[in-house]
Amino acid sequence: MAIETLVLGAGQEVGKSCVVVNINGKRIMFDCGMHMGVSDHRRYPNFSLISPTGDFDTALSCIIITHLYCINTLFLRFHYFLIIKISHSLILYSYIFFFGIICDSHLDHLGALVYFTEVCGFHGPIYMTVLIYSTVRWVEPNKHCHLNSICTINIPKQGNHHVHSIHSHQLSKTIRIIACIFLYPTKALAPLMLEDYRKVLVERRGEEEQFNSDHIAECMKKVIAVDLRQTIQVDKDLQIRAYYAGHFTLFEYLTLILKVLGAAMFHAKVGDSEMVYTGDYNMTPDRHLGAAQIDRLRLDLLITESTYGTTIRDSKYAREREFLDAVHKCVSAGGKVLIPTFGLGRAQELCILMDDYWERMNLKVPIYFSAGLTKQANVYYKMLINWTSQKIKDSYPTNNAFDFKNVCKYERSVLDTPGPCVLFASPGMISGGLSLEVFKRWAPFENTLVALPGYCLPGTVGHVLMSKPPKIELDPNTKIDVRCQVHQLAFSPHTDSKGIMDLIKFLSPKHVILVHGEKPKMVSLKEKIHSEMGIPCYHPANNETVSVPSTVYVKAQASDAFMERCLKPNFKLHKCSSQELSIKTLTDKNIVPELQVINEKAVFIVEDKSKKLKVVHNDEVLVMLGEKKTED
Amino acid sequence: KGDYYQYLAKFKCGDERKEAADQSMKTYQNNTPESIQPISMQTFTSMMNEILNPSTPKSTVSSIFKTLIHSLLHSPESHHSQILKLIADLSSHHPSLAQLALDSLQSMLPQLTDPPSQLTIEYLDALVNISERPVEVDDSLFTSICLAASFPVRLWMVRNSGCRVMVRPELLYPVLMGMTKEPYPCLREEALEALVRLGECAVFEEVSLVKGCYERGVQLLSDNEDCVRISAVRVVALWGLMLASFNVDTKTYWSNEVFAMLCSVVRDMNMKVRVEVFNGLGKMEIVSKELLMQSLSKRVLVLDQSPTEQFVLLASNVAGALVHGVEDEFFEVRKSVCQSLRTLTVLSVEFAHAALNLLMDVLNDYKVEVRFQALETMHHMAINHCLELQENYMHKFLDVLEDNSSEVRFSARKIVRLMKLRNHLLFKSTMDVLLKNLDSYPQDEADIFSVLSHLGRNHKQFVDLIANEIADEVEASFEGNREFNSARMAALLVLSISAPFLNADVCPIPPVIFSFAATFLSRICCAFSDVMNRDTLLEYLIQKSSSMVQPEVNISNGEGQNPLAKDDVQNVAGNEMIHSEITINNGEGQLPLSKYNVQNVALEMKPPNDVGQHKRPVHDSVVLTYINYILVKLPNIWPKVQSCSANEVLCSLRHWKEELTSLTFDSSAPADASAFALLYLKIIKLVVEVWDHLVRKTEVVSGTVELEDKLEKLDGRAKELMNRFIGFSAEEEISVLELILLTYTLRLCRSEICSRNFIFKRMTIIYLRTESFLKLRSDVASGFVAELGSLIRESSNGGASCSSLAFDNCLKLFSPKRLMIREGIRHRRAELSIPNNCPDYPLPFAPGLTASIPCDITIHNISSNCRAWVRMCINDGFTQHVYLDLQSFEVSGEVRKISYAVPYYRTPELDSFNLKVCIGLESLFENVTPVQAHGGPKCELVLLCEEKIVYLSRVL
Repeated sequence: MAIETLVLGAGQEVGKSCVVVNINGKRIMFDCGMHMGVSDHRRYPNFSLISPTGDFDTALSCIIITHLYCINTLFLRFHYFLIIKISHSLILYSYIFFFGIICDSHLDHLGALVYFTEVCGFHGPIYMTVLIYSTVRWVEPNKHCHLNSICTINIPKQGNHHVHSIHSHQLSKTIRIIACIFLYPTKALAPLMLEDYRKVLVERRGEEEQFNSDHIAECMKKVIAVDLRQTIQVDKDLQIRAYYAGHFTLFEYLTLILKVLGAAMFHAKVGDSEMVYTGDYNMTPDRHLGAAQIDRLRLDLLITESTYGTTIRDSKYAREREFLDAVHKCVSAGGKVLIPTFGLGRAQELCILMDDYWERMNLKVPIYFSAGLTKQANVYYKMLINWTSQKIKDSYPTNNAFDFKNVCKYERSVLDTPGPCVLFASPGMISGGLSLEVFKRWAPFENTLVALPGYCLPGTVGHVLMSKPPKIELDPNTKIDVRCQVHQLAFSPHTDSKGIMDLIKFLSPKHVILVHGEKPKMVSLKEKIHSEMGIPCYHPANNETVSVPSTVYVKAQASDAFMERCLKPNFKLHKCSSQELSIKTLTDKNIVPELQVINEKAVFIVEDKSKKLKVVHNDEVLVMLGEKKTED
Repeated sequence: KGDYYQYLAKFKCGDERKEAADQSMKTYQNNTPESIQPISMQTFTSMMNEILNPSTPKSTVSSIFKTLIHSLLHSPESHHSQILKLIADLSSHHPSLAQLALDSLQSMLPQLTDPPSQLTIEYLDALVNISERPVEVDDSLFTSICLAASFPVRLWMVRNSGCRVMVRPELLYPVLMGMTKEPYPCLREEALEALVRLGECAVFEEVSLVKGCYERGVQLLSDNEDCVRISAVRVVALWGLMLASFNVDTKTYWSNEVFAMLCSVVRDMNMKVRVEVFNGLGKMEIVSKELLMQSLSKRVLVLDQSPTEQFVLLASNVAGALVHGVEDEFFEVRKSVCQSLRTLTVLSVEFAHAALNLLMDVLNDYKVEVRFQALETMHHMAINHCLELQENYMHKFLDVLEDNSSEVRFSARKIVRLMKLRNHLLFKSTMDVLLKNLDSYPQDEADIFSVLSHLGRNHKQFVDLIANEIADEVEASFEGNREFNSARMAALLVLSISAPFLNADVCPIPPVIFSFAATFLSRICCAFSDVMNRDTLLEYLIQKSSSMVQPEVNISNGEGQNPLAKDDVQNVAGNEMIHSEITINNGEGQLPLSKYNVQNVALEMKPPNDVGQHKRPVHDSVVLTYINYILVKLPNIWPKVQSCSANEVLCSLRHWKEELTSLTFDSSAPADASAFALLYLKIIKLVVEVWDHLVRKTEVVSGTVELEDKLEKLDGRAKELMNRFIGFSAEEEISVLELILLTYTLRLCRSEICSRNFIFKRMTIIYLRTESFLKLRSDVASGFVAELGSLIRESSNGGASCSSLAFDNCLKLFSPKRLMIREGIRHRRAELSIPNNCPDYPLPFAPGLTASIPCDITIHNISSNCRAWVRMCINDGFTQHVYLDLQSFEVSGEVRKISYAVPYYRTPELDSFNLKVCIGLESLFENVTPVQAHGGPKCELVLLCEEKIVYLSRVL
């Protein structure tokens, strides 16, 4: 028997993850992504390779999507949505930006799902990780008043004038969507995203509609939620299990905006064959998210991503240290620190870092959070406690790590208050909004520090700032003197080649297949895996099939005598000299009652007349042989 | 059985009780063992109560015990576990019965072993619980249990083997090795744990055994069960180290292997495994530098020189192990990493520097435990001299001093104490941080002061730089010109007064600082508690602050006799004595006194004062004879010294010394003689010790300080011998001079000695003197002296040209002369008493004014042309000398007496202080260097008496 892996997407490339594995007769599709870089038929995986006839229901047992939809995204979306309605000049930019995120980070893994299920016609089960169920429960008691409670989260804490000017019909839409999230996390989030995507494709790009809203809704009905470490019996033979995979994003420049909470690794077992599909994962823990966790399994196959197959990342502690030093130095000199950041993810991490530091150093300088969104993000982190790191879990019962002690709400008066302070303001690239406003005011002072926590897109103030110009021209009428200091915080949270190697070493599978990476990197990683661990490794291109042998256990009957002996340890003891002892320890073996471990010294496999295998003890062999002799 | 029913009767009530009593009676009569009923649940409970009740009479307890033992034999097996539990409880509450219980259980055990079952284990468990020591189990029982079909039985045995159950290691080892292949994970785990225990206590001589176990551990590192992997890591760490220590040649190789093996599991998904790995790494004794460096870098290092084959193989396993540990999500792991760095940093200096970078990052950790551990590690590094904080680290490190966890702050300060700062700026910022700390954490005051005092002591040069600033600030605030911040003042004072501490040379700290510091005495004394107590600190402060009054007050040194002239006089005196020399012809035969006799005599003489004066001559002669008897023996033991049996010699010397000290006299000639002999012996003893050191050069390394100390002592004693005794015969004089020459030679023998020329000069003087003596007596110089003479003549321009080897040769020629002493020897000594002075009745003084110290002085055997001084000093600091005019003394024979009010000029601004007073005589022998430039004695003082402490207190 063999495990056949058909790579439909992400083979020697990045994007449209889609792998179909035929394992002991069961076919599982892992991820169903679409390629965002192209707009023709190559955007979707070539599903016809699964079944030329288009009968996918019989050809596939199930689809497993390794990504949980990111809540952060949704909120970002609101943020911009609101802005759109208020200040017209900002609409376009923010909007584009937002969709860029969605496309690249998520649809990569599930963009083609609706297409596949609805257009191509797959009716089998789809598995996804979801938010923990407690999330739902958290809201459920308030089912009737949740609309109000959500409003109170959303509106009063927003703290700025933008929210108040939302029109009523928009407000109700906002609330409706939020309510969806609370009540049906998986089903609510995915269609929203897909819907957005559809709109973008259709409305903005003017492309032909490939699926409609109804399709999305239909598709979502097929999705079955999987919790972490929950084992699901898909059918009699197939069993799947999700493991926590740490956090990551796909593209470096996106990380400052988004972090995908809790992607999962999936373990699938059919009969005696086992395999793991990792999706994306991270082996290095973060301040607010832990490292991937998985059991040691007896794997035949491991399919792992290899985006950073050749990179080895250094400790980020040193960078954190520099950042803290810079901030501390600035505030102790009475300066103001501006940290332009998006409300979530990265901001959380920096916030934890600084809050700890403030606590330790007994600093009294205020830290302000500009966006109400950040506060909401904290509410969500509180709910998502299972997905966070040990630190946060440790402190959860007493003080939630996201209840920052030293962080207070931003008010406009802060801008002109003299004295040192630290301000987290969005958006992250100083492209507009509060961070730009603050930047305009503070930049001309020498004791101000602007800490850029990540990559800035070209064309944004943040990008210009990195080259430390004396002046920045916003538009022909506005010029800003830049005398402030600039500190750039390099950031890269994706798993590196060391992480991949460590995971492979820990799992020690019999075969490894690399997907989701650039070809040269895959090749070098493949060589490394092969030479260092002696594990055969493959890097198939799209639409190629790799076949690896699978473990099959032969069923055999065991005689009673054998079973009896198996229950006892059967090594014998001699009173002998130490030298003999040492020899004995090397040769000494006892039988393990699992049949596949056959100790030739003690066990014989006999094929009897009925052509059935039988395991007997060597004592019995003599008897049987004797019988045979008499028969003959 | 009668007991049994009797007992039951006690507990059953009513009818039941009666019935039981009847039955008891019956059993007593019939003695039928079969008729016993099983004990009911109720009875168990009541028995339990009785056992736990401390007031239960002993007889009841013992009858309960008998009943239990009895029922154990006769009741069905289902009851046994309860009975056994009761027995165990009983013996823990009544230890007197424990041994009995043990014996009876042990006797029952063999019946139960075949086949081993749960019951056997229960028996063994009870046995183990009762016995305080591990129970020994014989081999057959052990093997039968270990091979038993029942899983819990095996588990129990493995779990307890090696700790509570003793089995021969030779047997235990193969059984455990077999057990590591068990299908049950918990059995594998327990087997590995037992192997760890075994490895800790047993010694294996066979390499293959150890290797086998290590390899088994390595295999199980990839076990599917977390618990097995944890134990496997421990096995690998322990047995791997054992394996490495087998052979010195391959030690590095195997240690590296083990290190890499442990590092390879550092990314295990289980937190406990990772913790265990780092614990294991912390035990490494030796690891090659390359691998250590590799563990700090995730990339495989490219080495400058061609890497060893082993490194190439292991590098990828080791890569970044420690970095991963530090980045770990769980604080337990991070803490464990810091702990392991503690030992690892000691292994290589280069690694220590690199690891410091890592540790500095850890200082940002959010967990107090981790930060604390990191600092402890750095402290450990500092102790081992591998901590070098560069400037960029210093900044971060100083932040830690402000940490809000007191543990962390204390730990950080511990490091500051040991630090040597490179430049002034760092020192200043450290100081500032500490002062700031004082404001924010007033509860740490004592510790901060202590740190400041260390800082000051270690960085005198930097303190000097800011001394004036501090002085200005202190003065300003004391005078009220500035806001008075007492904590800050105290801290600044601590810093400044600690700088000149232990540094004798003059420093720019204004003396007024010291007097300010004195006002904070109680607050700051704890800062110096490691070196001095409160009183000594006070004295130190007084002494330092008093030096603000210029030392002009030195007493006029009288007539200022020319020391050279004095020397001449002395020489003349010596010559005269030579003329009046009476040769004593004393052979061996004249010393028939056995030691026994002498001791008898000594005993008789014990109450010497009661014995009338007329008896003295007799005793004198006896004592003299005895002293001579001892002295005569000296040359005989010399060969032993040369043949390196110093211990023997020292032993007999000590013995003689004891005998000599047992002879006590009042002022009389024999006393002087014995004092001389005692000193002589002391010198010989020191010579022998030093000799021993020099000859056995191997030990010199370890005992350099000790040797230096001894040489110093020897020097002092030699001076004493020369200066405090007069009335030598020529022969005695020569012996003494030779001895002194010997001490110098010994000093010069040490090639590393610093003031060589100076010593050589002094030696030349002594030599010339010896020579003149010899000439006068027209004696032939001994081989030693002659050789020394030729050496000195050869290198007339100073001793530097002479190699220590030449002196070594001289030493070989030395042998002590036979020395006979006569009554003529006089001991110069003085008695000093200050009447009416004790801590409770101090003498009065007014600060700034001269205080008078009334002294009653008696001096013996000192002629009026000697120059005597009273020396007064405040604790190990400033000294004032007052000249004693011997002419003004009241003379009676050789004894002079005077009652003299000694003036003390530099009285400090304090409520009270102590003076150490004593009498000294100018040494006229070796005036090579003038001791003090202004006033005071011209030559070194030889102290004639013990120092007396004078207590003074301010007049109110």
